[in-house]
Amino acid sequence: MISKKLYTGFLILCVVLFAVCTVLTDFSPMTLFANSDAFWEFITEDFLPPALPKASRIPGVFESVLVTLALAMSATTVAAILAFVVSLFGSEKVSPFPRFAKIVRGFATFLRNIPALVWAFILFSSLGIGTGVGFVALCITSFAFMVRAFVETMEDVSQDCVESLQAVGASFPQRVAQAILPSCLSGFLSWFLYCVEVNIRASTIVGMVGGGGVGLTLFSYIKSFQYDIALSIILLIAVMVIAVDRVTSKLRKEILK
Amino acid sequence: MSENHNECISFPASRQGRHKIPVKCRQRNRFIPAFLIGVAVLSVLSLIYLDIDWPKLFSRVPDIGVVFWQLAHLDVSRMDLVLSSLVETISIAVLSLLYSLLLGIVFGMLAARNVFHVPMLSTLTQSFFTFLRAVPTPVWVLLMLVCLGMGPEAGVAGLCVHTTAFFTKSFAQSFESIPDETIEALEATGTGRLSIFFNAVLPASLSQIVAWAGMRLETNFSECAILGMVGAGGIGYVISNSLQGYDYGTAGIAILLVFLVAYSIERVFVRIKKKFY
Amino acid sequence: MEPILKFEQVSKHYPNGVHALKNVSFEVHEGEFISVIGPSGSGKSTLLRAINRLIPISAGTVSLEGEAVSGQHGRGLRRLRRKVGMIFQNYNLVYSLSVLQNVLHGRLGYMSGLKGIFGMYSEQDKREALDLLTELGMDQFSYNRASDLSGGQKQRVGIARAIMQNPRLLLCDEPIASLDPSSAKTIMDLLRDLSQRRNIACIVNLHQLDVAMKYSTRIIGLCKGEIVFDGPPAALDEATIEKIYGTSRENLMIGGKLDDAKNTADCA
Repeated sequence: MISKKLYTGFLILCVVLFAVCTVLTDFSPMTLFANSDAFWEFITEDFLPPALPKASRIPGVFESVLVTLALAMSATTVAAILAFVVSLFGSEKVSPFPRFAKIVRGFATFLRNIPALVWAFILFSSLGIGTGVGFVALCITSFAFMVRAFVETMEDVSQDCVESLQAVGASFPQRVAQAILPSCLSGFLSWFLYCVEVNIRASTIVGMVGGGGVGLTLFSYIKSFQYDIALSIILLIAVMVIAVDRVTSKLRKEILK
Repeated sequence: MSENHNECISFPASRQGRHKIPVKCRQRNRFIPAFLIGVAVLSVLSLIYLDIDWPKLFSRVPDIGVVFWQLAHLDVSRMDLVLSSLVETISIAVLSLLYSLLLGIVFGMLAARNVFHVPMLSTLTQSFFTFLRAVPTPVWVLLMLVCLGMGPEAGVAGLCVHTTAFFTKSFAQSFESIPDETIEALEATGTGRLSIFFNAVLPASLSQIVAWAGMRLETNFSECAILGMVGAGGIGYVISNSLQGYDYGTAGIAILLVFLVAYSIERVFVRIKKKFY
Repeated sequence: MEPILKFEQVSKHYPNGVHALKNVSFEVHEGEFISVIGPSGSGKSTLLRAINRLIPISAGTVSLEGEAVSGQHGRGLRRLRRKVGMIFQNYNLVYSLSVLQNVLHGRLGYMSGLKGIFGMYSEQDKREALDLLTELGMDQFSYNRASDLSGGQKQRVGIARAIMQNPRLLLCDEPIASLDPSSAKTIMDLLRDLSQRRNIACIVNLHQLDVAMKYSTRIIGLCKGEIVFDGPPAALDEATIEKIYGTSRENLMIGGKLDDAKNTADCA
């Protein structure tokens, strides 16, 4: 019963981690319950019911939603194009320079493991605040993510046919166009759609710290204590995200057909 | 393209060399080219709409190098602060994961259609959590900060919202993938719904639950690392604060640590995955 | 007569310490149909891939029609590779493309960069490919996706792709290992007939001793990276088989008796 031992180990690990972390952070769920009266009062008094912003500002809110969507869309596309080119050099099996494949992947790993918002802050301190910087920050993380995803897809799907085209005497660009692209395109696009979903959320967050878009709108309402309006913005964000998720899952089905 | 398609059918005529011989498949996914064009158009429109000041952005690109140069001058003088906030961040990530694990199992049980057989309940739970999931984590944390004030409570609670929503959906999926026969067999013996859940459904999906939890730890850590930037504590606060205060050495070391932790979590799970699948 | 292929003292070490080929030397002449046999890990695959440099060798020379393969790069390597057709155990087709497109891939080595990238094959190439598919009995599938075919059909497409190269030499890496017995026989018959008719020398890696005995004009036995037998099938006796596989004949599943090699059962 290896699995049984494994689960017992997992459970023990959980309990130990729980104890250690609780001590370290001095967190007790009781404070949540102790404060629950104030908490509920806060929610019912300040947040509910959701209120609309002033009529004059409604177009601005929708515009900011559009900015968020546009940011996510364009950043993902640019990142996908770059990631495709770079990922060709990121797999030992496919790249014409197998020795550099590790370096390429290492670079992508470095970019990927630093959260988008940290990138945004680094860039803000060098490029200044604005939509352009949000765009670059989103590009960096989704680029790094897609490099890894594309390399894995390529190694899964087209390693064999790349070998056969190599044997035929096809050049590297020919191998890319005739073997990798046709066999991996649907997989690539499916990852692309996933990245769009992730970036819709990420662009909202990057917006909050200065990238513009609906995130910034929400942040300004919270900062000015207009919580009931903030709640309607949150609802709007939820609707936006759910709508995009719906669309991408439909598209994904069509692509993988 | 449709012309090309017709040629495929009038194949013998084309073979005499009057037309070009087609080479492509008779049935191919015509949606993909349309999709590619659509994406290209939308992206170009988006870029135009965003109206980014590219020349200005590019003119400042050398500054990125400068910032990186400064970040690379690691400064260990405030190491104790960096380390303690890193520990706090990791603890918040782990705590929120564990709490959400429990909550996720409970709500997943409610959301799975095959546990209580009350479709209304499942639909309600699922749509509520779809809403919670659709709102990005930092927004929840921000709200919790407003409600609960500064401290780890806001972080844990805020992260829990999103993580629980994620777990509820994934666990419900795992529960629903249990074959109906297993449940029916137990029902026939007159076992209660809850005991069916705890004795049959939950053990059977345990391996998936562990896998989901592992996957989520990565996300939770990076989410937690950025929470500080919207006002909660932890390593994110150190990073944003020292960047804004031009204390690049401290920021550099904090970023490096975030990277190292995230990378080790990733490596560990890649290892575990390789071992068990 | 100059040999088509010449191995001189070829060795290959992998970075992980495996010694896949040790001082291998042999020649291949026109019209030969050579089977390479040996247990798994004996270096059969490495041997084939050393010929068209899919795997670079560590020492020695491999020459194709008098030209050394190891010194070639870029354009020169492509020119050498197109002279050598290759057939794979897993067919290695591009499954999302049509059968005809897969066959035409055989011409890529002859085409200029851009034309190859966009798949703009000449009308003559297309006609040739269609004729070849007809010859292989695959013409009705020309416009199907390669993924829709059965194993035997996929391998026929693989053969057509290799033949389209107009090769001097055909390398077959366990061409029937993933096929059922009857498709395996069709494929082996096709390989023999096509290579005879077009005067292509053939090197086939095989796991099936009986198939090797039946089809080849010459057998090379590999064991731990060394050639332990090289001669006509008739000369392959019990002692040699034991030397190649490291075990006596009774312990091998080779489908029928040695001299009764009618049965081409797949017993990999």
